[in-house]
Amino acid sequence: MKKTLRINQTAIELDLEPDTPLLWVLRDEVGLTGTKFGCGIAQCGACTVHLDGNPVRSCSLPFEAVPENSEITTIEALEEGGLHAVQRAWLEEQVPQCGYCQSGQLMAAAALLHDNKQPTDTEIDQAMSNICRCGTYPRIRKAIRRAAEFQVQEA
Amino acid sequence: MSLTRRAFLHSSLLVTGGLLLGCTSNSPRILSSPKESPNELGLWLQIGTDNRIGFVVPSVEMGQGVTTSLPTILAEELDVEPEQIDIVLASVHEAYRQQGMFTQGTGGSTSIVKWWEPLSKTGAAARIMLVQAAANRWQVAPTECQTKAGQVLHVDSGRKLSYGELAEVASKLEVPDDPPRKDPSQYRLVGQPLKRLDGLAKVTGQAQFGIDVKVPGMLYATVRQSPVFEGEVLRYDEPSALSVNGVVRVVEILNGVAVVAKKFWQAKKGANALRIEFSGGKSLGLDDQKLEQQLTEALDNLGKVEIFGEKTLDVEYFLPYLAHATMEPMNCTADVRSNRCEVWVPTQFPEVVRDKAAEMTGLEPEQVTVHTTYLGGGFGRRGWDFAIQAVQASKAVGRPVKLIWTREEDTQHDFYRPAYKSRLQVQLGEDGFPSSWNHQLAGPSAISEFAWQLVDTRAVGSVLKWIDWDVTSTEGTQLPYAIPEHEMEYEVVEPGIRVGFWRSVGNSHNAFTVESVLDEAANLAGRDPLEYRLALLNDQPRHRTVLERAAKEAVWGAELPEGHARGIALHESFKSIVAQVVEVSVDAGTVRVHKVHCAIDCGRYVNPNIIRQQLEGAVVFGLSAALYEQITLKDGAVANSNFHDYRVARLSESPEVFVSIIENDEAPGGVGEPGVPPIAPALCNAIYAATGKRIRRLPVANQLI
Repeated sequence: MKKTLRINQTAIELDLEPDTPLLWVLRDEVGLTGTKFGCGIAQCGACTVHLDGNPVRSCSLPFEAVPENSEITTIEALEEGGLHAVQRAWLEEQVPQCGYCQSGQLMAAAALLHDNKQPTDTEIDQAMSNICRCGTYPRIRKAIRRAAEFQVQEA
Repeated sequence: MSLTRRAFLHSSLLVTGGLLLGCTSNSPRILSSPKESPNELGLWLQIGTDNRIGFVVPSVEMGQGVTTSLPTILAEELDVEPEQIDIVLASVHEAYRQQGMFTQGTGGSTSIVKWWEPLSKTGAAARIMLVQAAANRWQVAPTECQTKAGQVLHVDSGRKLSYGELAEVASKLEVPDDPPRKDPSQYRLVGQPLKRLDGLAKVTGQAQFGIDVKVPGMLYATVRQSPVFEGEVLRYDEPSALSVNGVVRVVEILNGVAVVAKKFWQAKKGANALRIEFSGGKSLGLDDQKLEQQLTEALDNLGKVEIFGEKTLDVEYFLPYLAHATMEPMNCTADVRSNRCEVWVPTQFPEVVRDKAAEMTGLEPEQVTVHTTYLGGGFGRRGWDFAIQAVQASKAVGRPVKLIWTREEDTQHDFYRPAYKSRLQVQLGEDGFPSSWNHQLAGPSAISEFAWQLVDTRAVGSVLKWIDWDVTSTEGTQLPYAIPEHEMEYEVVEPGIRVGFWRSVGNSHNAFTVESVLDEAANLAGRDPLEYRLALLNDQPRHRTVLERAAKEAVWGAELPEGHARGIALHESFKSIVAQVVEVSVDAGTVRVHKVHCAIDCGRYVNPNIIRQQLEGAVVFGLSAALYEQITLKDGAVANSNFHDYRVARLSESPEVFVSIIENDEAPGGVGEPGVPPIAPALCNAIYAATGKRIRRLPVANQLI
């Protein structure tokens, strides 16, 4: 099926099998490999991208279900021409180890902070269900609090 | 760190010349060459006339921070900033093989331990040669010169020359054989909490993992492997798979079948269409109950010892098979041509990949080029089985192939941490301390599986049973505590499940058993677990210090909120000593881990930021396993398939972790693994303190409900 998607503010015309998950559209068709494959069943969140600003697990969203004209944002364009508050906080708190899950973690965290400027610990726990096997969770928590501070300072 | 950048770095240095330095692990001599390709020489340090400083990192980066810590060692002696160094991930060369290792590999928490000396030597030698080159140019004594941030400075005249300007001349000077190194008091970088050099790439999606490799003309593949280990392919529906849009070929490969297609999603649909069936296999008919029977029978074969006295323990401990569950599933990209083969692979063993690729293609090892990438987690899993499959698939279709396992294949075809059962018989003396300690262990041998894969014969594995006991199963059973009689027996059991090395290996299960039993002994004696341990460590000052530090940081003995309790454990592994204090509460059978205080003695260290990362990560990794993880066996196969039924810890289940590093001048120890072993016993000792229930089987799961 043919459809035009807006990916990182660029309109891209695609002709694909309808059941192709958005994850593989991004990785294999568009060449955006910052979004990762982890489980394929929306469990781990490594594939998290923004669909009209909302976090979605792209491994389980088929091409046919992506609404035409919706805006898809990946880690590569989380912030145009600079680093997003969560990316700066991630560096400040030295979060990544192997780094594989971090694109998804960052996209989930950015979406959380967009909707909730000062999330409580419980709200962070609920929003951040992405898996990290290196065990960066304690630093992710700190980095989200730090990013929230950045956003307040810069507002 | 794209492929093109790596190529550029090499070729640019070739064109411009400069200083190339390194020293192999087999020879103490530092080698130098102004002419030849650094890739062929395997030299680590390359200073170009364009001021570019290249460094080939000999270990692979799987999160443990070697692409920061190893350049730091070099930068310290060379007097450059770590940011000035261009990192090159090593291909295969004997120079990148650690001293005493039979193959080029990253594992066993040895990168700092083994590379500190040769890297600091290389950096120091280069600095001396660059200073000499400048001194010659200026007609002054080298002692009148200083170095800083990649420049040589003549103090009196203020003249400066960059390393790049000096590289060509320096390369023609004699290489000092044993260059003096900095005194630790002069360190600017080593010992500082420097930020990781791979941080920016990893928060912007730019870091290139194996799964991200792109090769022109590349096809994609995925696999179906026998659920029963070493089962044979019985039948599959090739026409159905080929009728799936985009599917190019169906190829029989090691352990199963690969479906090659234009895109990954098409390959996956093709693999589903195969409806493949297998028969036989070495784990046929095995399930959890039969596995435990085999382990129990092995302990019965060893037979109980006789113990006497009023206070004795006679207890059994069980730990399950565990998956590594790296976030990046197994994958490899291969391009096999008639006269050469290129492989891009996230692996801990690139040299074995090269040799296996040569074997599969009939090429000479020299005709195989292995490009290592970042690893999306390693933990001991990443060997070469998936790389062999990619090479086979590429060879069959005559085009580059990126082969990616699904999570289901990854979960069901791991090299698992073996399941073990232990029997501990301990006798307490009149003073309440153990007078005898008898440990009987039964379970698979990880090293024999490894050896078997390496030599393609089972002989090596079974020989191991006779020649020596297997350190990968038994390490961690030796205690630092003063116990007069200590006996250890190990019986190999081979249920047919594929096993391997899992972060901290033998220590991962033995520490749970021995540190839990020591806690049981303290309770039996009616003593405080910390004080009991300290009393047994009078001859072990380093262990005492670590234990006391963790207890002090956790304020052991101070009052806790209602329902909270603490547990403690201590373990030495990979030349480092770690103690942990865990604070838990148990509510309606659910354990909540609130805080973990860690203390580590890893001797002299490079980067405390990375040490903290590794200890925090080890705590979460170990807690995840202790609380939730278990491979379940059914009909000879692994019943788990993905993260919904192989449960791992999430952020909401993660405690606050505090890390304290002991300062001393001891030889460097490992950091990646030693944080794992003490966490399971510290957790279960805390659960005992909170509930009075002794956990003797992992995972904790629903045992408290």
